[in-house]
Amino acid sequence: MTRGTDRAGTRRLDAGGTYVLLMVLAVLFAGPFAWLVLGALKKQTEWVAIPIHFLPEAPQWSNFTEAFTRVNFLAYTANSLFLSATYAILVTFSSAAVGFGFARLKGPGKRPLFMVLLSTMMLPSILTLIPTYVLYSRLGLVNTYWPWVLWGLAASPYLVFLFRQFFAAIPRDLEDAAIIDGCGYGRIFARIFLPLSRPVLLTSFLLSFTWIWGDYLAPALLLDIDHTTLSVAITQSYRDPHGNYIPTVQAAAAALYVVPVMLIFFFTQRYFVRSVVMSGVKG
Amino acid sequence: MADVVAEQVRGTAPAGRLHPGRAVPRPRRRWSRYSGRTFYLFVSPWVLGFLLLTVVPLGYAFAMSLTNFDGSSSLWRWVGLRNYRELLQDSAAWSSLVRTLVYTAIVVPLSVAIALGLAVLLNRRLRAVGLFRTVFFLPSVVPVVATAIMWKLVFNRDAGLLNAILERLGVGAVTWLVDPTAFYALIILTLWGLGGGMVIMLAALQGVPVELEEAAVVDGAGRWRVFWHVTVPMISPVIFFQIVTGVIMSFQVLVQPLLLAETNSIGAVTNVPSSTHLYMVQVYQEYFANQRFGYGSAMLWVFFLIILIITVLVQRSSRFWVYYEVDRDERD
Repeated sequence: MTRGTDRAGTRRLDAGGTYVLLMVLAVLFAGPFAWLVLGALKKQTEWVAIPIHFLPEAPQWSNFTEAFTRVNFLAYTANSLFLSATYAILVTFSSAAVGFGFARLKGPGKRPLFMVLLSTMMLPSILTLIPTYVLYSRLGLVNTYWPWVLWGLAASPYLVFLFRQFFAAIPRDLEDAAIIDGCGYGRIFARIFLPLSRPVLLTSFLLSFTWIWGDYLAPALLLDIDHTTLSVAITQSYRDPHGNYIPTVQAAAAALYVVPVMLIFFFTQRYFVRSVVMSGVKG
Repeated sequence: MADVVAEQVRGTAPAGRLHPGRAVPRPRRRWSRYSGRTFYLFVSPWVLGFLLLTVVPLGYAFAMSLTNFDGSSSLWRWVGLRNYRELLQDSAAWSSLVRTLVYTAIVVPLSVAIALGLAVLLNRRLRAVGLFRTVFFLPSVVPVVATAIMWKLVFNRDAGLLNAILERLGVGAVTWLVDPTAFYALIILTLWGLGGGMVIMLAALQGVPVELEEAAVVDGAGRWRVFWHVTVPMISPVIFFQIVTGVIMSFQVLVQPLLLAETNSIGAVTNVPSSTHLYMVQVYQEYFANQRFGYGSAMLWVFFLIILIITVLVQRSSRFWVYYEVDRDERD
């Protein structure tokens, strides 16, 4: 009896300790977010005040309106949206097709090709980005959105893998029945497999969308300040006439820039988690 | 989470092998030839993309690495392996490589260990675990630009959160984003994004059969022994994979040092403090600040070979730690 309560007691204590630890860690992880939002709500004079103010005296929502007016925020947002959506749609369908090929079709050299695909997942994109930039600037593709179209059409090894895993788990009966009915693989893919893979299509779209939305280097290299995306604009444009950054307005812009990603993430958390897990557990 | 793992497990079943549908006789040879063409039709986007957008740029970079091309002028010529020979004696390049190795050696073990620790904490039946998981995972989906802006505000000398706290504690303000502390700032920023790894570890932990751990407890093993001798070996493939991807990720770090240093244009890479001047930063500088496209390409190729060696080593050892689902019967 005493032993029982003793055990329960230590377990409660244990759980308490875990909570304290988790709380401390949560504060550490959330701190930068909080500081960004607080910074976005401070007056410029408050931001530089000594000693450092933790909280703004009165929230300065004008920083957010200034984020919109000081640079053409909406135009950059439109650029980002356009590039991200174009790439996401193209890469989702091209990757689905390639994933279907690897999951369901036979062909000479399939196995080595798949090994190449898996190894390119490890290949850092930075390796090809700079030479691609040099190549494209000679081909006149700089300052156009064609590079993203090409990248989208070319499928992403990572998403191909995601689709392949999903398609490989679908029973073969469906397909066999369709083949007996005289259906070609194009129609099997479009009519049977694509409709079945709605959750993966969504995962793929969300992921690839956030890749481009969050990308900095490719737009910084390939697009000038008029054609570039929000990610580049907010790092460069929020300055006073002397060229110094206006941190409060930049913070407001950064907060606005993160919000879509956060919203997408909150509402579709399980898709994100699934894709991350897929990539990590199976390689 | 559990359904995620279940799906993983289902995904590993050899596809459709047990289906009676296969027994249906069909015109074999014609079908397989048709099928082979269809296979190539379906995978052609990736094959063409790989050739045109990966192989061609890499080959172009190799060609550039044999020249003294400056990025714009047409007065370039072939210089053979001179760039590579110069690289062997380039102390700036070597020290940036060493710095990258040090950075990797600190960041990878720390982030894997912390991710595993967090996953263990969150794998317990506690209330509000989902909330904590979200808080820890969220930073890993924040775009790099926003991450850099946030941490620049935190590390700001006169108005930063960190110095605000340090001053309250009576410690003087620290100028974080200059040498040598910028290096630690970069490490903290990197560790902040370890949530992706944590989620993977969590899924792996939930895939460990409870019976195994219970059996060990029945046999009298303490909590730590169960963890080290049952749990960790069971999830070792995942840990190993995390280490490999972590190493490759930290080798290519470029944007974070650039943005932390307030480089506001492509050429302004010289602002990056030398303690965060990693290998890729050095490459970037050779290309865009020094206009040495040939030399930068040579550096890029050396980096490519390093990655290639790591990848080959990993693939050679992969059969020991991960099961890729490629059906051996479908090799034709």
